[in-house]
Amino acid sequence: MADNSELLPHERPAPPRVDLWIAAVFFVFGCAAAGLAFRMPTYADQKGEIYTAPGLVPGFYGIVIILLSVWLAVRAVNQGALRGRSETAAPAGPKTASDLRLVLAAGLGLFFVVGLIGRVPFWLASATFVAMFTMLFEWRRGQPWPVRARRMAEAALLGLATGAAVTLVFERVFYVRLP
Amino acid sequence: MFDSLGHLGGAFVGFLTPHTLFNVLWATFLGIVIGALPGLTATMGVALLTTLTFTMPHTEAIMVLICIYVGAIYGGSRSAILLNIPGTPASAASTLDGYPLARQGLAGRAMGISTSGSWLGTLFGILCLALLTPVLSELALSFQSFEFFWVSVFGVVVAGTLAGGDPLKGYIAGFLGLWIATIGQEPYYNFQRYAFGFTDLAGGIGLLPALVGAYGVAEVLQAMRGPTVKAVVNQLDSIVPRIEDVLKHWRTIFRSGAIGVWIGILPGLGEDAAAWSSYAAARRASKEKELYGKGSIEGLMAAETGEASSVPGAIIPVLTLALPGSAPAAVLMAAMMIHGLNPGPNLMVESPQFFYEIIAMLVIADMAKLIFGFVLVRPLITILLVPRERLMPVVFVLCVVGAFAITSRVFDIYVMLVFGLIGFVMRELKFNMAPLILGLVLGDLLEKNLTRGLVLSSGSPLPFFTRPVCAVLAALTIISILWSIPAVSNRMRSLVRRTPSAPA
Repeated sequence: MADNSELLPHERPAPPRVDLWIAAVFFVFGCAAAGLAFRMPTYADQKGEIYTAPGLVPGFYGIVIILLSVWLAVRAVNQGALRGRSETAAPAGPKTASDLRLVLAAGLGLFFVVGLIGRVPFWLASATFVAMFTMLFEWRRGQPWPVRARRMAEAALLGLATGAAVTLVFERVFYVRLP
Repeated sequence: MFDSLGHLGGAFVGFLTPHTLFNVLWATFLGIVIGALPGLTATMGVALLTTLTFTMPHTEAIMVLICIYVGAIYGGSRSAILLNIPGTPASAASTLDGYPLARQGLAGRAMGISTSGSWLGTLFGILCLALLTPVLSELALSFQSFEFFWVSVFGVVVAGTLAGGDPLKGYIAGFLGLWIATIGQEPYYNFQRYAFGFTDLAGGIGLLPALVGAYGVAEVLQAMRGPTVKAVVNQLDSIVPRIEDVLKHWRTIFRSGAIGVWIGILPGLGEDAAAWSSYAAARRASKEKELYGKGSIEGLMAAETGEASSVPGAIIPVLTLALPGSAPAAVLMAAMMIHGLNPGPNLMVESPQFFYEIIAMLVIADMAKLIFGFVLVRPLITILLVPRERLMPVVFVLCVVGAFAITSRVFDIYVMLVFGLIGFVMRELKFNMAPLILGLVLGDLLEKNLTRGLVLSSGSPLPFFTRPVCAVLAALTIISILWSIPAVSNRMRSLVRRTPSAPA
């Protein structure tokens, strides 16, 4: 049998309790998808057949998702999802730091899409985003002043170069419209 | 025979223009860089470039995408060897022996093996594509809606079962993808499903914004979350492949090439499954099993040949059945559709020249890969040292441009963001993305063929089970599902091996 360390990240199994939560979410989702599908019109008054009804196929998918989520829930319970929970807890330190990086990256991405695009020209939006992203991720506590200033200047330069290159290459070479 | 060679020769001559060769060079280079950089994958590269090349003529655009695809799958081995981090999931098996070789001071030799194995693997795959595609197309021409329905179902189920990870979650992801494909106007009455009054949603979920999100944005988030990686090799031995390495392992090359093509043909499995399967088969057949995982030349050769041969393998079902063999092939298929081509059995009837052009494109991309394999070693090490803090925001900007480019709808950027989040969360929860993407790609085909079949049979489901090909595909689908249930698969294995099963 293969060692777990040789498996790809997605091949390593999730804890049963997590699988139980996933099953619950997909059960609710499947119910909503099927429920909405069966409320769709059948067009029987226009001599429509049941097998051409708009809700038939998505309703079927909804039911299959419900059945699969029940299967996942039963399997998770059999694997001990309802028993103790302490063994799956991860150490707090490194996870918190990586979660912070994740939240920061997601937040900056959202700010770029919702806050910048459409409000300022695209070259400026992308320059601002790239510069901010690089500056914030390269910010270190206790960094000497000259090093920090140099990093910030490099980030600003990278942002400007990205904004200019993306605009020139995609608008002039690929004839692609920019947001 | 001579007619075919004439068409093929015509395709090669047509591509030997300075403009096309320039496109080949930059696209293959970009593909290798995308593949080499951890966090950027072949699927993301092909998806981004699909949106950015859609104003090009179709042969040029598909040529660029094939170069990106071939280059990215090869480029992944660079970071696998130098960083112990697979640049793409396809190169994960190459880390097992590539990195130990690099640590022994043989990074150059490892890259030489990677280059020769990958080049030969792709050539072997191209040969199989050239031989198998016309035969499979001929067979697929006899298919009707009933068969195409089962081909789609089989594709989603097999991707769920075999794409790696938990098959049950693979099925859930596959059906989620199929469900997402139903959002928007349906084909018979133009009823707006799950649109909730939003005009943009009534237009449906664009495949490419969804793919750019699931593979691009999700990968940016994952890369920023993970730890920093550093290249460990500063000095290189010779990167020129040794003839003895190739000749000594010719059996491994043929075996891995055949496995790669077979896995490439199976829907949705992709290059990573091909590399792992080739590696496992080579290890089983090897006389030097103890070297595997410690720097085996044979192991690295097997993984590289397998993943490279699966690239043409994954294109075979695209051309014959409109069924992608891997996630990048799914994007390539979408690109063909965007450019007005009709992938599937009718392609050989409507545009036979395109089949020969695909062969020529793959050969030219493979040759460009070989050239870059020799000249790009040091520049690639420099590129690998670019910090992710500087690379990922640029990638995110490209994702935004890519999502927006095709329909110029800001809504598509939001779709990209949502799918980025879905992709990230699902990967964290150990879902494989391949079935979801395959469901999204095949959803329309499945629904249209199911409804058309039922209309043809006046509502009777019997033809879906009684027609010979349907019966075989239905049986294979059921066996595939049963195989994913451990108790059933153990029992089936014990029956095949004729060993007594353990008492209950």
